Amino acid sequence: MKKITASLLILLSATSFAKTSFLDSVERMKWGDLEVVWVEDDKFPKFTASVYYENGGISDQIPGATQATLDQLTSGTKKQNQKEIAEFFDFYGANIRNSVTHEYSVLSVQGLVKDIEPVVGKVCELLNDAQYPANELSSYISRAKSNLNNLVTSHAALSDRVFRQMTLKETPFSKPVEGTLESLEKLSPALLKERLKELNKTKKVLYLAGPSGVKDIKDILKSKCNWSNEIRLKPVELNKPSNESAIYLVPVPGANQAQIRIGRYMTSNELQGKYDKFEFLANFMGGGFTSKLVQELRVKRGLTYSAGAYVSAQRDYARAGIMTFSKNETAAETVALIRAIFQDVSNPSKITEQEFKHQQGHLVGGYAFGFEETSSFLGRIMLYDHQNRKLSELEAFPEKISRMTAAELSQANLEAFSWDRLTIVVVGDKSLEKGLSRIRPVKILDYRKFL
Amino acid sequence: MKIWFTLMTLILLGCSSTDKQDRSRSLSESINLEVKEVKLDNGMVALIVPNHKLPIFSLYLFYKVGGKNEVSGITGASHFLEHMMFKGAKRFGKNTIDFIIEGSGGSTNAYTTNDQTVYYENLPSSQLPIMLEIEADRMENLLLDKDDFNKERQVVLEERKMRYENSPRGQIYLELMKNLYEGTPYGRSVIGDIPDLKSVSRDQIQAYFKRFYAPNNVALVLAGDVDPKEAEKMIKERFGKIPSSPSVEEAHNSLKDEAFVPRLKDSKVVKRKGESPSPMFMLAYPSYKAGHVKGYPVDILSSIIGSGRSASLISDYILIDKPVATRMYAANQSLEKSGFFFIGGDLVKGIDVDTFRKDLIGKLKGYCETEITQRSLEKVKNNYLVDLYAGLDTNAGLARFLGERQLLFGDWRFYKQELSMYEDVTVDQVKQACHEIFSQKSVFVSVWNKHK
Repeated sequence: MKKITASLLILLSATSFAKTSFLDSVERMKWGDLEVVWVEDDKFPKFTASVYYENGGISDQIPGATQATLDQLTSGTKKQNQKEIAEFFDFYGANIRNSVTHEYSVLSVQGLVKDIEPVVGKVCELLNDAQYPANELSSYISRAKSNLNNLVTSHAALSDRVFRQMTLKETPFSKPVEGTLESLEKLSPALLKERLKELNKTKKVLYLAGPSGVKDIKDILKSKCNWSNEIRLKPVELNKPSNESAIYLVPVPGANQAQIRIGRYMTSNELQGKYDKFEFLANFMGGGFTSKLVQELRVKRGLTYSAGAYVSAQRDYARAGIMTFSKNETAAETVALIRAIFQDVSNPSKITEQEFKHQQGHLVGGYAFGFEETSSFLGRIMLYDHQNRKLSELEAFPEKISRMTAAELSQANLEAFSWDRLTIVVVGDKSLEKGLSRIRPVKILDYRKFL
Repeated sequence: MKIWFTLMTLILLGCSSTDKQDRSRSLSESINLEVKEVKLDNGMVALIVPNHKLPIFSLYLFYKVGGKNEVSGITGASHFLEHMMFKGAKRFGKNTIDFIIEGSGGSTNAYTTNDQTVYYENLPSSQLPIMLEIEADRMENLLLDKDDFNKERQVVLEERKMRYENSPRGQIYLELMKNLYEGTPYGRSVIGDIPDLKSVSRDQIQAYFKRFYAPNNVALVLAGDVDPKEAEKMIKERFGKIPSSPSVEEAHNSLKDEAFVPRLKDSKVVKRKGESPSPMFMLAYPSYKAGHVKGYPVDILSSIIGSGRSASLISDYILIDKPVATRMYAANQSLEKSGFFFIGGDLVKGIDVDTFRKDLIGKLKGYCETEITQRSLEKVKNNYLVDLYAGLDTNAGLARFLGERQLLFGDWRFYKQELSMYEDVTVDQVKQACHEIFSQKSVFVSVWNKHK
């Protein structure tokens, strides 16, 4: 088997990336009922093992339950308390992390290959025997609530939270996976143990990266993890969002800048077959210093320090958004300008050949960087699998982008950033109301209701 | 002059991490970097590390100029220049540099610290010739266009608001440096004071640029899919003709280490009113400059008490029934001329910040006897190995690793000594360092909406 990630530090004759498919470094296996994806990487004697669960925050009866279940996995078993478990992982230099989205959850462990057996064995032990001691859970809830209360000092993070809830209102995805001040109070050891049982029975896939020695964990998983794949999450079908007629202003104390978020959610039907086009759109609008937004807002007018755009897709929905900030005096001007940019990009004749070709070059030329870090490549494979997309799509990406036209970009922009459907959230000083109301009627929201 | 070193290889260790003898080999023997070192007649140093895994490379230019080189009236000059370096030069004119880099699939950015300003690019390997031309052009012929200069002044002021004025942690950091390093160049803010940012002129920045942006004040590091011989030739062609700065050495020599050492007569407690409903804080003690032999036990001390879920501060303040803090961390910050050991964190609402401070300072002294054991030392060394691998995982990481050492110590090979020093650190040395650090005067800064 060829290895594109092999022998980083040893001089080899150059291997043409174009001739060697990155897919050659990916091996799919079945270990009993468990699907396994291995990306070979013998650069260093370290490993990553990520368990994907086809189940996430959307299944939470109490928002934050899945997140807490994985966060508190190391809080105690029948044999060991939290301190002993922490000491175990720290001693081996092993990191145990998790990521919970609405649609899926991931538990990852990274460490040195020589320690893979005890480390992965311990993870299995936790998954079978986590007790969620009440005192540790209470401490966790107290810390989580404190963090939420402190969001008022982090205007960017607060904007993201309000924006997410406002764009996804009236959908099953509106409740934050990390929970709320109210929902966190309802978490209990029994609830988390039950949730862990469900996760253990949920359909899962193991994503591995490292030298061939990582496959030695097959027997450990078989003998210690007791997993099954009984529970499958059903897809959620959404309707297109309805029109928006207001700007939501969230006043916060002491704000001398306005955080601006503009966007909407998209349905899986809108995404089908167009992932690449929307990725190009996001890159064109906000991917780097030369993107449309950064050039118009920062370079030409000095209105902001940064601006970005994204079309971030899971399987059943995506979110398209713009994020930037500006000083109070120019917040309304910035929102109005973003609207004008959307209008321009919706018209192919207003997209110059130079800027279009430039962004094509940016995406196609930068393609290889997506494979430099095996952990990010592994994450990309996981997302494609979750979305039921073939990896060959990833391989075909540069060619697809090269074939795109300005008309297709305009169409993607019209579909993603149709102004009347876009939710606008501004977090900042109350005095912004006057200027913003010239664009749309302003509705004032209390940030505390989003905590 | 060309220096070739032995083939870089990884020694894959099959030892158990609990075996002291084997474990102690793992740090210094874990990596042997093969680097081609090129020295130009004008004083420029270039380091080249080939890696043909993917058709990409990372280019880093470490300029030895930062906040420490500024004087009152031009604070923030290094960082302002960092912004202006993307605005164009003689050959690669206004607003073209970003377009060339990103248009070919690359990315670029820069950062400024107290001691250095670093520019970096990640690009497809076919772009090496033009990227070297761009870097040479802006080193020799930066435009500093007047319109761009004034527009960028606004962008810098907005960045300052975002990073410092509107961020409790940013406020704390500025206040901490100001108080710990009062009367020394490290006490000034790297992003600059607002009056200076508003008044600094193009001529002042131009003069600053002329002095510090020269081949004899930079280390270039190139890692990735490059042919070392070809790269050396290109570097010599593009940079070899740029004259060195006649005054930069004098500028560096005039900055004596003694002028950077904190002079705390008494411990300071600084309270700033902010918007945070619960207090955030940092506590700092003077430590050692980068490369100082006594700094390595202090690094290990910071990891024992502040890194990982089993660290002392996490166990005592966070993972307890009634948590005092939601976040705690410790680090030993080694700067070129001095250093400081700091602990920071976010407290839970309702915790009295003065009571906490007294408790923390008391506990720290106790840690010197209770927390530093052979096992905790081994744990830290295991983690350093993992971090080392993570840091060298990409071309960019490798370039950073080498460039920082070349600039700070004048020799990228210093990493070998560093790893050996970590290996050799003993429990007694860490205990001694602990007592020495925590018996000094300190600076404690907190931000809270309850402060007046």
